[in-house]
Amino acid sequence: MAEGIDFESLVASYYEPLYQFAYSLARDEADACDLTQETFCIWAAKGHQLRDATKVKTWLFTTLHREFLGARRRQTRFPHIELEFAAAELPVVPPPTAHRFDAGQALEALARLDEIYQAPVALFYLQDCSYNEIAEILDVPLGTVKSRLTRGLGRLHQLLTDTTTGAQPQPPNL
Amino acid sequence: MNRDEAKTILLLYRPGTADAGDPEIARALELARQDPELTRWLAEHCARQEALRAGFRQITAPAGLKEQIISEQAAQERTISWRQSAVLVAAAIVAALVVLAPLWFQHRGNEDTFAIYRSRMAGVALRGYIMDLATNNPAQVRAYLAQNHAPVDYVLPTPLGKTAVTGCAIEDWQGAKVSMICFRTGRPLPPGEQSDLWLFVIDRSTVKNAPPMGSRQFVQVNKLMTVTWTQGDTLYVLGMEGDEQTLQQYL
Repeated sequence: MAEGIDFESLVASYYEPLYQFAYSLARDEADACDLTQETFCIWAAKGHQLRDATKVKTWLFTTLHREFLGARRRQTRFPHIELEFAAAELPVVPPPTAHRFDAGQALEALARLDEIYQAPVALFYLQDCSYNEIAEILDVPLGTVKSRLTRGLGRLHQLLTDTTTGAQPQPPNL
Repeated sequence: MNRDEAKTILLLYRPGTADAGDPEIARALELARQDPELTRWLAEHCARQEALRAGFRQITAPAGLKEQIISEQAAQERTISWRQSAVLVAAAIVAALVVLAPLWFQHRGNEDTFAIYRSRMAGVALRGYIMDLATNNPAQVRAYLAQNHAPVDYVLPTPLGKTAVTGCAIEDWQGAKVSMICFRTGRPLPPGEQSDLWLFVIDRSTVKNAPPMGSRQFVQVNKLMTVTWTQGDTLYVLGMEGDEQTLQQYL
């Protein structure tokens, strides 16, 4: 049972990777914070129902992903649009070398992937999750995970290559 | 497995993870060791994977997020704890009321039944009544009461037996008949009044919590001083305007 898990220890262990996953999905700091906090709130309320304490990590990521999908559904119905007036004033960053990507580039490329590839790719790179874990978190079959990862990673690499070489991004090859 | 198939499989390979344990990847890695071009491709791929992992891991949570999560939860627990306490207290009060209410009402009911009876009869005497039979003959009073199935086997204290009767009426108490015998003590009466002393007789079993045998209870009910006693199966209430000492003279 997961009842004996100390809340503070749990937060200390998982808040950072959960935030990273949330940010890779939402690409907004406030939203990512909310998602992370909401995930732990849900754990506090329902975590005791988890019978297998070894599934805590999977449970947390699954919960966060579901919350993200739920929030996005609500946002689609009631879109929230922010005007980025300062965007034009931002400095131009020189293109990175092929083997050096910062978080901004990685996330930008991730954002350009089809939505069904974003979560598996994020889990793949961020958490070193196994394919089985990713399948469990996203609640899809293992074969689907591998298929989505193959296509998603191929497209991501393509996008990053285009970015670093200055080529026009190609339409997704699905 | 050919080179292209191996590349497709190795696209999912992350160096330094458990991926190498996957049988399909393990076979592709083995092929890469034997194929120089695939070896070069794999080296580039691993470097790119590492760079991407490093890029993604640059995402860092804002300072204070952990503390915020913990403190919010602690506050939430305090709120829940307070609410739970309030709910528990409320539940305890309700439970206590549920348990005690019947006892309370039963107790009150027992007390009130006799008190209400006495108060009701005092009200009859004070607020007016119509005598069913106006007579100064005690025998006629008994006959009338007997004829109407009202309590008739009452025993009057000697002083009261010597007091002049003015008549009688039959009252009702929760479906039971009450014999009301009216007397005149000889004191000056207000205009229109014929009686100033009244005796109410009822079957004791019809009044809960009636006083036990052998005791007399003097209680003032509004302007009426009353005395109550039980004899046999009969409950008596005698009342008049005045004090206890005055009423005592008729017992």
